[in-house]
Amino acid sequence: MKAIVSIENLASHLVLSFWTPVFVAIFAAIVIYALRPRNKALFDAAAKMPLRED
Amino acid sequence: MTNASASVKSMTFGEAVLWPLFAVLAFLCLIGAGFAHDTPFAFHASLACVASIAASFVILNRYYDRPAELPPQEINGRPNYSLGPIKFASVAAIFWGIAGFTVGLIIASQLAWPSLNFDLPWTTFGRLRPLHTSAVIFAFGGNVLIATSFYVVQKTCRTRLSGDLAPWFVVLGYNFFIVIAGTGYLLGVTQSKEYAEPEWYADLWLTIVWVTYLLVFLMTLVKRKEPHIFVANWFYLAFIVTIAVLHLGNNPALPVSVFGSKSYIAWGGVQDAMFQWWYGHNAVGFFLTAGFLAIMYYFIPKRAERPIYSYRLSIIHFWALIFLYIWAGPHHLHYTALPDWAQTLGMTFSIMLWMPSWGGMINGLMTLSGAWDKLRTDPVLRMLVVSVAFYGMATFEGPMMSVKVVNSLSHYTDWTIGHVHSGALGWVGFVSFGALYCLVPWLWNRKGLYSLKLVNWHFWISTIGIVLYISAMWVSGILQGLMWRAYTSLGFLEYSFIESVEAMHPFYIIRAAGGALFLIGALIMAFNLWMTVNAGEAEETQAAGLLQPAE
Repeated sequence: MKAIVSIENLASHLVLSFWTPVFVAIFAAIVIYALRPRNKALFDAAAKMPLRED
Repeated sequence: MTNASASVKSMTFGEAVLWPLFAVLAFLCLIGAGFAHDTPFAFHASLACVASIAASFVILNRYYDRPAELPPQEINGRPNYSLGPIKFASVAAIFWGIAGFTVGLIIASQLAWPSLNFDLPWTTFGRLRPLHTSAVIFAFGGNVLIATSFYVVQKTCRTRLSGDLAPWFVVLGYNFFIVIAGTGYLLGVTQSKEYAEPEWYADLWLTIVWVTYLLVFLMTLVKRKEPHIFVANWFYLAFIVTIAVLHLGNNPALPVSVFGSKSYIAWGGVQDAMFQWWYGHNAVGFFLTAGFLAIMYYFIPKRAERPIYSYRLSIIHFWALIFLYIWAGPHHLHYTALPDWAQTLGMTFSIMLWMPSWGGMINGLMTLSGAWDKLRTDPVLRMLVVSVAFYGMATFEGPMMSVKVVNSLSHYTDWTIGHVHSGALGWVGFVSFGALYCLVPWLWNRKGLYSLKLVNWHFWISTIGIVLYISAMWVSGILQGLMWRAYTSLGFLEYSFIESVEAMHPFYIIRAAGGALFLIGALIMAFNLWMTVNAGEAEETQAAGLLQPAE
């Protein structure tokens, strides 16, 4: 069968070959940012933000 | 304190633009009312005309009454928080909540005793049902979200809310949208899209209001004094942005006439169905989940006086939810004309949602570590924590029901209604009540609530109501599903549809009783909050007048 160029084919091609890896990469970067030990102090302070009174 | 200075009073940009704009709008609405093709449109145009005149007048009046300088951003080095719009939205939330629960009770009773629709078009189930859903989700829930988001963003950014008129425009404009939408349903104006019933002119108005909401929120974030954006603000922002996108995506309709209420959507058939449930499910995901999770992440730590259990988990929770939720919509269209792969995709993403949902639940519950004893003494905290438990339960049930085999039994039955209400009454309702119990004393400078005992009564009465409601719906839903699929040995359907309806009767009565208890609980809350504002804490009525903290 020959490849048919249509909106659907183009869309599914873009989703599979572009957006899926991009989203996975972005999410992986976020997880690394969240788990990185050097960010601990920042997050410990942020966790207490609601408790600060002004 | 600054109005003694000799600065010349001049209109802000907003004032100078808005008062003539509303005057012109009033004139246009008057023309619209005159040329209207149908009565509801004439009614709505007239309402909009009156509201525009009022808005124009109030803006001018406010300008003449106010000092030359706008309220200062800071007083004595502390942020001068803007609380007026938050107070309005909180009161509106309580009002709409009680209205919405009452309509819910009426339609629940209609299902048990159909003659309660009084044979009038305006009070039929078909018109009251969207009134109920919109009143509880968008009017009650929406006002809670606007109130808490404006409060939390100011407090965690340590800066005054952006804009002078804009926050008021958001709050009043949103409530005007509710009035238009609600009266429209009663008069038979509807797009027939679930949770997106308002017609084109209401949709256009909401778009303007919502974009202003987004701008107020964003501009407040931009001028924050805290370098870090607190996680609750991320959830609020996701809620505001996504609702804007969903609203625009699901409502590209062309009106038959600019003087009529009827419109047609740009696409039809299965495409429309898919758009509708992409919208519908993400209204659940971003309005009823992300927005209220923001409340959880601020109000539970605050009330428990404990830091968030794991801030890291909150970040992963947020992004996992964002990446996954948007794909789950097709599970509303199992076994329909929607392509099979899309149904399976919706189901798969729904199941994946278990992880962030439970991660968030664990994070909320574990925030109480070291403060579990407070559950015994503080019924407000108990309400907040039980809401998170209901969140966990509803987000366990949801993915399970999205599995196709389960869905083949549960879809179109009362099980769905039960599931929605365990989320809506248990999670959204309780977390909102908890937030209001915190917020009202803070906003009106009261030391505490009028009565914690009444909160306790509210908690238990409503909890029993929810349990009655959801268990009745489980039983009736599964019963319905089984009756519909039962065959005789000869291959005929064993029950006629009306037999299944008959079998529902006792469960519908139990459901209505559960709803009545939930409503009674909300009335107790309204009384308690009213007394908190007007009488202060019961035990300390004497001291209340003397101890007025500045902020």
